[in-house]
Parts: sequence; C-alpha cells; structure tokens
Amino acid sequence: MAKAATQSATMLEARDIVHRYGPVVALDHVSITAARGEFLTILGESGSGKTTMLRVISGLERPHSVGALLIGGEDVANLPAAQRNCTTVFQSYALFPHMSVEENVAYGLKIRGVPMDERRRRVDEALNLVRLHQKSARRIGQLSGGERQRVALARAIVTRPALLLLDEPLGALDERLRYDMQTELVELHKTLGMTFIYITHSQEEALTMSDRILLMRHGRVEQAGRPEELFDRPVSRFAASFMGFENLLPCRVEHKLAGGRVVVRVAGRVFHATTVVQDALSEGSDAVLAVRAERFAPADVASDALNLLPCRPTERFYRGKYVDQRAESDAGPLRFRVWDKANSFADFAAVRCSEADCVVVPQ
Amino acid sequence: MSNLVAPSRDLWSYARIWPGLAKWSGWGLLILIYAPLAWLALLSFSTRPLSGIPYPLSLTNYAALVHTPGWTGPFLISLGIALLVGLITAVIACFVGRAIPRSPRAGTIVLIALLPLFIPGVSLGAALFIFLRVLLGLNLGYWSIMLGHVIWSFPFALIIVLVLTTRFDHRLLEAASDLGAGPWRRFWDIEFPLLRPAIIGAGLFGFLLSFNEVQRSIFLRGTATTMPIWNWTMASSQQSQIPIIFSLATVILAVVLPLLCLVFWFIFVRIEKGR
Repeated sequence: MAKAATQSATMLEARDIVHRYGPVVALDHVSITAARGEFLTILGESGSGKTTMLRVISGLERPHSVGALLIGGEDVANLPAAQRNCTTVFQSYALFPHMSVEENVAYGLKIRGVPMDERRRRVDEALNLVRLHQKSARRIGQLSGGERQRVALARAIVTRPALLLLDEPLGALDERLRYDMQTELVELHKTLGMTFIYITHSQEEALTMSDRILLMRHGRVEQAGRPEELFDRPVSRFAASFMGFENLLPCRVEHKLAGGRVVVRVAGRVFHATTVVQDALSEGSDAVLAVRAERFAPADVASDALNLLPCRPTERFYRGKYVDQRAESDAGPLRFRVWDKANSFADFAAVRCSEADCVVVPQ
Repeated sequence: MSNLVAPSRDLWSYARIWPGLAKWSGWGLLILIYAPLAWLALLSFSTRPLSGIPYPLSLTNYAALVHTPGWTGPFLISLGIALLVGLITAVIACFVGRAIPRSPRAGTIVLIALLPLFIPGVSLGAALFIFLRVLLGLNLGYWSIMLGHVIWSFPFALIIVLVLTTRFDHRLLEAASDLGAGPWRRFWDIEFPLLRPAIIGAGLFGFLLSFNEVQRSIFLRGTATTMPIWNWTMASSQQSQIPIIFSLATVILAVVLPLLCLVFWFIFVRIEKGR
C-alpha cells in the first residue's frame, strides 16, 4: 500500500463522484485527477460544489456514489477521514483553542505515535517553513489572522501527506496579506514538492498560483485546463463571464474554418474569431462573441473593415492606471480600456479587435 | 419641512436614586442571607445555644460533637452517596449534553429533560417510592436514595453541560479526524478538554444537591439514614443532642460554601475563558 503511494504518478484520481444534500445535487458525476506535485485549483462560485468535492476527497463527506477514489494509488473510497493520506487547511483554520501553537502542529504526529524527539524536530521544521518558530509557545487566541493561517498550514504539512487540500485558506485575510500569502504558498509548494488541491472563488488567485485550473458550476466541471487556457479560451458563456470577459455580444455563426477559426456576424459586421468548441457551434446558429475590455482598441472611422464594430462613446470612468470607457453599439453596450492617458479618444467611432482575441462560445 | 421633536424628557428615569437603590437592596439581601448563618455559627460556640445568647463562649458543643458517635455514620454515608451522585450525574450529563445539539428535536428533548426541576421534591419522592417499593416490590436503601438524587440533580447538570456543548465548534472534530484521530482520540484530545469545566461543574452540582437533599431521601431511604435526615430527625425531636446540631450545621457550611464557590468559579470563570 505504502509502496503504491510512493510510486504512483497520479496522486489523486476521483471518478464519477455523485453527492446530494436531500434533493440538491452538489456533485453531478464529477471526475478529477491530479498528478504528483501538481498545484490544482478548483475554481467556482459559492454553491458550485467545490467545497463538497474537497470534503469528499478528505473523507469528511461520504458521497452518494463513487466510481473510484484513489489517493496515491490507494483506494480510499471506504476509508474514514482519519485513515486517508491527506490533510486539509480549513477555511476557518479550526485550530484547537486549548493547545499551544506547537501542540497544534504536533497533533498529527502525536496521533501517529511519532517519538518525542522526532516530533519536536519536525514541528520546528514545519514552523520554520511558515516562519512562526518564535511563536511556538503561544496560545491560538494570541495570534493574528495571518499567523493562525500559518499554524493551520504547518499543522497540515507536518505529517507529509500525499495530498494537501486547501479550502479557501486566504478568504479571511485582508488584501495585502492575501497577496503575500499567495507568493508564499507557491514557494511552499515548490519547496515541498507536495500535491496541492486548492479551492477558491477568486479567478485572480487561481490564475497566479495554479498549474491547472478546474472551473466548477452547479456541481459539474465546466472547464479544465492550464491558467492560460481558461483565461484566453473559455468553452462557454459562463466560463467566459467568470474568467472576466466583460463583453459578451450576441452573434451568428457564418462559417466554420479549419484550425478552430470561425467567421461570425455581430450586428451585421463580419468578425473573424477563434473557438475551442467548434463542434458545439453550427453554421447559421446563434452564439456569443466574448472579448476582454483591454483587447478592444478604439478606431477613428467606422469603415466596413473586418473585426470592426461601430459604436458611440458614453460614460468614462477614471481608474488611475487606465480609463474605463463605455460605448453603445448595435450589438449592445461595450466596455473597453484606454491605457494611454495622452490619447483621450473622446470621439472614436468604432472598436476593433484582433482575431486571436475574439472568442466564440455557444449561447 | 417638519420640526424635529426632541425625545421626551422623562426626568424620573434619570434620578440618582436608581443606582443607589440597586446597591442597597443588594447589600440588604446579602445581609438577610448571611447574618442568620453567621449567628448560627456564633451560637455553635455558645454554652447554651437554645437560649439564643452567644455568651458565654465555649467549645463544649464541638467537644460533644466529637464524642457523639451517632452522626459520623450518616455523615460518611452522605459523603459517599454525594460523591457517587456527582460522578454519575457528570458522566450522564456529558453523554446526553453532547448528543442533544446533534438532534433535530433538541428543543423538545431539553424541555422534557429540564421539567423535573419544577416537580416538587415531595411529589417526586412519593412517586418514586410507589414505583420502586409498591409496584416493583424492591427493598429501598442507599441505592434508591442515590437514584432519587441522580434524578434530582441531572437537570441542573445538563443545563451546565449544554452551555458548552451547544456552542461547541464541531469543525474542530473534523480537523482532528482530518489529522488522523479516530473517534476515541477525538473525544479525549479535543472534546473532553474543551468541555471539562462544564463536566466538572455538573459533577460538583450533583455532589452538593445530593449532600443537602432531604425531601426525596425521606421517601426513598428505607431504613438508611443520611446526614441531612439525621440532622432533621435530631432537630425535630426533643433530645439532648440539639446543641450539637448547631456545631454540625456550622461544620457542614464550612464544607459546602467553599465547594459552591468552586462550582461558580468553574461555571463562570473557566467556561467563559474556554470559549
């Protein structure tokens, strides 16, 4: 069993997980795999099933039905949480209030019957990693939010689990601290070489930290891929909107071309665009053209050129680094960014966008 | 534009008398409680306690207490029964108190469990007597006294335990499971230490309630005698033993009052700190 865990290249394999809370389907045939040493992020809004999935992996929730659930090659589908080779950093931290920092971190080792000297050495090591070794004698009540977060992290990694599960660990921290902790977590992941499964609702956190992202919606996996793929190549209207595509314009598919290219018509104008879900689009059907605000560029004249949409400017909002410009077009309201302060574009007549930045998704 | 109306100036509620009234009625009540007790303690040193005059002082009654063999038996019996009742009550209250918050009908269960608080002791004693002696035909004795005391003290113990169990953070138990602790370790390492002040408070309450209990014991004692029953019998009969009741009551007070302080310290200081 232990041998399988050390040799397997796939650290987590969850196949066809179904879970219900009464009539509510929390997980609808979800399958997830994570490779050894991978930083996998499960992204989704609250109620998407991401936390339920984490609880199923850790064993704190028994799913309704399981196709397969393997951690480090070991079948854990019928093992209680206490016997699974993974630990969790809880959103609430769940630190034991009656124990000191040191005792909290040592708890997993104490349960495993690790001798006193080794226990002390490994606790010191873990507290060093999270830079809390000076506060090992403190009570939990004497720590700040950021320090509690570090204790929770040290307590989870000290047993060297095959999988480290992190349930929105940065959710309760203020923005500055959250930013620092992101960097620290990525470094910790590199140092430990452990497999991380990270839950968040923040696309920014997901993009900056992960090797791979799994976007969940209504208990299903909406899209899975590398951060660049989720950022630039959404597969659905939801994925596009969740990943921050500000402009979702109705369009009609004209032609499908080879290599994921597609020709669409937006408010009578012809756009050359890309898509990763060509099979889901059929010629003549309605679809959605997704464009990020920063990928639209204003143009002086509304000619009949390709990838050009006539519009007239409306409000503008000063945002410091850029100006948030709104415009009205035949396809609906548009949003784009003007970065160059000198070039005010007060009287543009259209916006243009390159083919690579126009993404078509099914309606 | 409508005029803003100032809040009505009910001057009487600002009167200085109120804080003073609270303070002096509080002191008055404390005097009412402790003055008679102090007077009793003082009279226990009197040569003739029944005269109500403390003078002349002497230790005669305490000497008599030491030389009267009658009370030591009931005293030790009461002590033993109270210790066992405290232990049993604490354990049962701990089990029940942990289970109630997880139940979907917690409110109903608590209501039913706490109702015995309002049943008069004589009624409960009589009911238990009829049930055990008449209906089941059992021989009553120390065990039935103990049973009656456990029934009597359980609701108090339950209330104390519920204070902590109802706001216990069950995510801590999930964290312990996640770190590898089975149900048994989870209870001893996490749950018990956090509930300990309440469980000890429950045990002390059980001890005190049992140690002073008369009403139920009268019905349930069979031929056995406890300290309060012995006191009561002595005090109500015209015997020469009466003077030593004063010193005995003082001794008991000296034991019970510090224990009560301990109970309240556990309940209000430790439980608050443990949160």
